[in-house]
Amino acid sequence: MFAFLVGEALRDVRRAGRVAVSAIVLITLSLVAAGGFWILSTNLGRAVADWKDRVRILVYLRREPAPADLPDLVGRVLAIPDVAAARYVSKDDALEALRRVLGKDAGVADSLPTNPLPASIEVTPSAGATTPEGARALLTRLAALPEVDEVEGGVEWVERLSHWQRLLTTIGLGLGATLALAAILTVTTATTLALHARRRETEIMRLVGAPEAVIRLPLLLQGMIQGLLGALLALGVLMALHRVAAPRLEPLMSLTFGLPRVSFLEPAGMVVLVAAGATLGAFGGWLARGRGVA
Amino acid sequence: MIELHRVSKSYETGPVKVPALIDVSFRVAKGEYVVITGPSGAGKTTLLRLLYREEVPTEGEIEVLGRSLNGLGRAQVRALRRSIGVVFQDARLLPDRTVYENLAFVLRVTGTPRREITARAFEALRAVGLSARAQAYPSQLSQGEAQRAALARAIARQQPLLIADEPTGSLDEVMASEVLGVIRDIWAAGTTVVLATHQARLAAALRRRTLVLKAGRVVKDEG
Repeated sequence: MFAFLVGEALRDVRRAGRVAVSAIVLITLSLVAAGGFWILSTNLGRAVADWKDRVRILVYLRREPAPADLPDLVGRVLAIPDVAAARYVSKDDALEALRRVLGKDAGVADSLPTNPLPASIEVTPSAGATTPEGARALLTRLAALPEVDEVEGGVEWVERLSHWQRLLTTIGLGLGATLALAAILTVTTATTLALHARRRETEIMRLVGAPEAVIRLPLLLQGMIQGLLGALLALGVLMALHRVAAPRLEPLMSLTFGLPRVSFLEPAGMVVLVAAGATLGAFGGWLARGRGVA
Repeated sequence: MIELHRVSKSYETGPVKVPALIDVSFRVAKGEYVVITGPSGAGKTTLLRLLYREEVPTEGEIEVLGRSLNGLGRAQVRALRRSIGVVFQDARLLPDRTVYENLAFVLRVTGTPRREITARAFEALRAVGLSARAQAYPSQLSQGEAQRAALARAIARQQPLLIADEPTGSLDEVMASEVLGVIRDIWAAGTTVVLATHQARLAAALRRRTLVLKAGRVVKDEG
């Protein structure tokens, strides 16, 4: 029976003709918009998560502590709330790090009369301090230590990145929802047209006592088929766009966000996208259901 | 099989009540062939529509195939209709399906097992002498053939009751006689038939029990 109902629904899609094609195209556009923003947002989210893990606060010391005082100092830093780890960096270690950064120009560091770099403690904040408020509170607590000259670092820019991620998600959802609404209305129109084309079938089905589900299901399935086709097309378009755009975007993403590659939707995400298309279409079909059947 | 007890039906057009049937009572036994005749507007179609519950009486009680039609729920109406075959003046075939597909469609939507559909459809087509035209589309049929196809569709589910509303109304004499011959065969095979026609001569020629309706009342029940 299900195969028969699907056959009837496909017949209706063919009958709706151009309107059905418009509905499919609109569903494709809405899902490409929503899916595109979803991909961008997911990648930004990965960058944010990655950078939150890599946030470090540098606590510069007034003078290099005596080796005997070091355990006590590091212990006091570790005892401060929201400090996950602390690593002491001596003046020599700092200079060595500078040499590594300078690479072939490391000779510049050697020509210095004295080591100008201060000793420091590299603090890894816990998850609670990766918000701007949490980070500010931690900086204040660290700066209050008598040995501390200056504290550097923060998470404001990570938070700014999060803000962009949220903005992209909102724009994607908004644009996707607007297009989805248009798609639903078009599916409703296509289904209403199919209903008119189908009125003889409906009349005969009622006359011979066909179950209500058999009368109504093809309409729902018709919308669902349009939605599925639209979603599969959208997935194809997104894959093609990703294949073309990702290699061009990756150098920029790597430089700015530290993301080595722009990833596509996970399999679960693809399933959600296709299901969303089917749901959109079915909803359109459901909205039209009463117009000619009753 | 069918029993109507003091049935009346009126339609409201604004404040005015237009009576279509007034105090109609009669019985049809199982296996009977009953002709309902009368001039246009006498209430024949309304009476038939009451039998397959397309209309609800304003007053009175109707029993069809052993069930009272008063207060039937939707599911019960569907069950009733699955036991009744109905044909109209126009064949009402689905234009984009072949004759066979028209029959298969009705069989499928009423839950006939898939493996039985072809056999049942061809059995019905043989009964109306149309098996050779199974793959023809309605537009390729004569009016008489289209009406026979509609009859095949109405009996494909082997219903015990056939209701025919002016089945020869748009046919010439030769075609009308063909269709009436098919209906007679269906009746002879055991189906109860209720046929409405405005053609008094045709009703007389059938030589069956005839109910004559006039202005919504049964004025004669003879034969």
